Amino acid sequence: MSSPFSRRSILRGMVGGAAVSVGIPMLDLFLDGNGQAYADTGARLPVRFGTYFWGLGLTDTPTGSRWVPKNKGPGFDITPELISLTPVKDKISIFSGYRVIGDGRPNAVHWSGHASILSGIAPLRAGQMDGPSFDTNIADAIGVGTRFKSIEVSANGKPVSYSTRSGRSFATPEPTPLALYQRLFGPGFQDPNSPSWQPDPSILLNQSVLSGVTEQRRALLKQVGKVDQMKLDQYFTSLREMENQLAIQLQRPAKAEACLIPTQPKNEPPKSASVDVINANSKAMARLLAMAMACNQTKVFNFVHTPGQSETYIAGDSKIYHQYTHDEPTDAKLGYQINTSKLAGLVMQALGDFLTEMNAIKEGDGTLLDNMVVLAFSDTGYAKIHSVENIPMIIAGGAGGKHKGGQHIAGNGDPVTRVSLTAQQLVGAPVGEFGSGAMKTARPITEVMT
Amino acid sequence: MNSTLMKTLALMAVTAATPQLAHAEWTKSYVIEWIEQASYYGAPTGIIDPGTDCPKGTNPEPNWVQMLINAGYTKEQAEWIRNPANPERSAVSGNPKMAMRGKNFTSVYKDPDSYPDPGIYEVEGRIGEGVNLDGNAKNGFTNLKGEKGIDNEFYRALGCWKTFRAPPRLSSGAQTVNDPMREGAWTMLVVVHGMGKDPMNDNKVTVGFYTSGDKMVKSGDGKIVEDFTFGIQPNARYEGIFQAKIKNGRITSTQPIEMMMRDPSPGAVRTGLEIQRAQIDFTMNADGSLKGYLGGYRPWAPVYFGWASFGQVNEVLTWIDLPASWYAMKRHADYSPTGPRGEKTHISFALRVDAIPAFVTVPDGSSLVSDVRSYKQEASAQVQPAAAPANMISRSATN
Repeated sequence: MSSPFSRRSILRGMVGGAAVSVGIPMLDLFLDGNGQAYADTGARLPVRFGTYFWGLGLTDTPTGSRWVPKNKGPGFDITPELISLTPVKDKISIFSGYRVIGDGRPNAVHWSGHASILSGIAPLRAGQMDGPSFDTNIADAIGVGTRFKSIEVSANGKPVSYSTRSGRSFATPEPTPLALYQRLFGPGFQDPNSPSWQPDPSILLNQSVLSGVTEQRRALLKQVGKVDQMKLDQYFTSLREMENQLAIQLQRPAKAEACLIPTQPKNEPPKSASVDVINANSKAMARLLAMAMACNQTKVFNFVHTPGQSETYIAGDSKIYHQYTHDEPTDAKLGYQINTSKLAGLVMQALGDFLTEMNAIKEGDGTLLDNMVVLAFSDTGYAKIHSVENIPMIIAGGAGGKHKGGQHIAGNGDPVTRVSLTAQQLVGAPVGEFGSGAMKTARPITEVMT
Repeated sequence: MNSTLMKTLALMAVTAATPQLAHAEWTKSYVIEWIEQASYYGAPTGIIDPGTDCPKGTNPEPNWVQMLINAGYTKEQAEWIRNPANPERSAVSGNPKMAMRGKNFTSVYKDPDSYPDPGIYEVEGRIGEGVNLDGNAKNGFTNLKGEKGIDNEFYRALGCWKTFRAPPRLSSGAQTVNDPMREGAWTMLVVVHGMGKDPMNDNKVTVGFYTSGDKMVKSGDGKIVEDFTFGIQPNARYEGIFQAKIKNGRITSTQPIEMMMRDPSPGAVRTGLEIQRAQIDFTMNADGSLKGYLGGYRPWAPVYFGWASFGQVNEVLTWIDLPASWYAMKRHADYSPTGPRGEKTHISFALRVDAIPAFVTVPDGSSLVSDVRSYKQEASAQVQPAAAPANMISRSATN
């Protein structure tokens, strides 16, 4: 028997004397028989997108690499520094041999690499990007309809983020598990599975106030010049995002089968930069982030494990990772920097743990990771000389069935923007080309796309 | 202009043109794709192993804690200064307290004489690379061809330092300097012009070193692409023109010159590299490349202060108690511009240069260069930018 309700149906009523609209939970009734798509339109379950950054690349010396697989294409070999990715090997693609082409712009060390990957433009100077980071475009495309358009996380105790709309100012990340928990599940969190859910009257009030401001905004915009219009528009953009956030909290959120509210972290971990602490932070924050996506709080995130000049270290050692990359000689017999490679492996363990957390959450007939695209990358290739060639890049997640993982793709000097474009198209962003100058490309890496 | 003057100028033009008709002038032009300190590596493998150059191997990493204790810090203070959990320690600049280890906690970066010579492994081998600057075969090193008198005291003083010690292209100093150059941070050109018929044997040759504002281009395999076109960028300071001769493809300068160039050294002297009595020894190879040495005497004190400007992070990344380099260069300085009895303010050194064929145009791009001449006058109206530092380590902050 056909149901009078669809997933778009809205229950209308009154709460506390105010009219409210209440959405209907995402019931199995609305999904197809495979649990992969909506029954009414055939549209697939939402694909989430995230960036994952770690500093100092992987160990890549003139005499050998500790991370580039020997085999190309499907069935690549797991190299020593990629061991932690073994559990999700079939859901990742490894990209080697891609580079930043600066068109004469100098290499701003520990910056040009990821700035180029994110903005598509070799930056003129460190600390700035010459365009928005593409995650913001994706957030605009797919981040609507969730409580947070995107979530920024920094696992190293310092507020580091490379997500930017202007290229000059950067998003403010949550720097600790506790801060992330409070942001996601603290005041304002709406449990999508709570049977006793009802809209917060204070939010209703705020929503009403903001709606009033919106009307005034329109009137005001008609009376000012272009420059002031731009200023006002910038100001009201943030206001509109707040309105959207509030409006969402006035609707009963879609029921999320996998959503379990995690317990609040009890103690703030020490803000030390030792790699074991950062990895523990990273794992805890990955679990929170995974649940935030499972609970439909956000579809986009930007995760920084360690910044470009990573200061992380092995507890008890007086040398930090950044120092090792520069001062440690390549071992003549082994052909690589021993301590540098050890730290690289530990740093990559965090990425392995991160993806494993995403892969542990069941969603439909697969996992959360199957409905994600995570672009993981670093700032350098051979960190000793700040090389921007052969920067390690990884695409993880099934992209809702669009990503053909389990492959190693050798770029042979192609620009890093090809990988960036591929990630954007996998997540369904409406973009046909990306980058500028010699890094401008309209060629995604089709080998990894179904 | 009167007719007499016109006739004179016309005659001068004819006179000037006539020799060109009598000789088959030729010009070859190159872009420098690699440049580094000329350091001979005497070990069979690796970059730090003991070898004939440095029998004890590369200068080892100092004991930083002991170094601080020697400077007057307690063991606890010294260990805390070196502890990564110390909030004063920075990935970019290290711990500033490391500098204050001179007498009465003076900064050794500003006053290296306030600190006793900590010593450094020096080159003990007889083989060296570079140029015989003083014409004396009884001093200096013997090069790989068996020629004696190679003057490179900079190498003798610091050739066992990790910054410089490695096979060609593999030292950390060379890689750190050349990577940004190859990414487009700066470009240097070489133009060779001869008056004879045979470019491989010509007694009347001029060789010019110029700067260019055009960037090198890498191919997909990371190599610099040959035969790209570069325009000479007139520079009032950075230029060198040698009179030379060629015998069997080997170009040697016939008289020393004084020149300035952008300092291609790790921890570069930002005001430029001054070279006294500069000379060259290059070879034109069958594959079209140009390889060899540019040698001379450079002031050594600015070299120290260039390194010192990077602070403690430079020391820990390159394994040196930095004042050791001050004393080593002072000890081996071998030239005074004021004469043999003057203070030895300069030290002999050499750069190993690899260049590949390139098209080089005159500054306005209207034609390819057909001679070697000075363009300094054309730069007089321009404001010359200061040389960008060739960072020995990264100094830029991250977001």
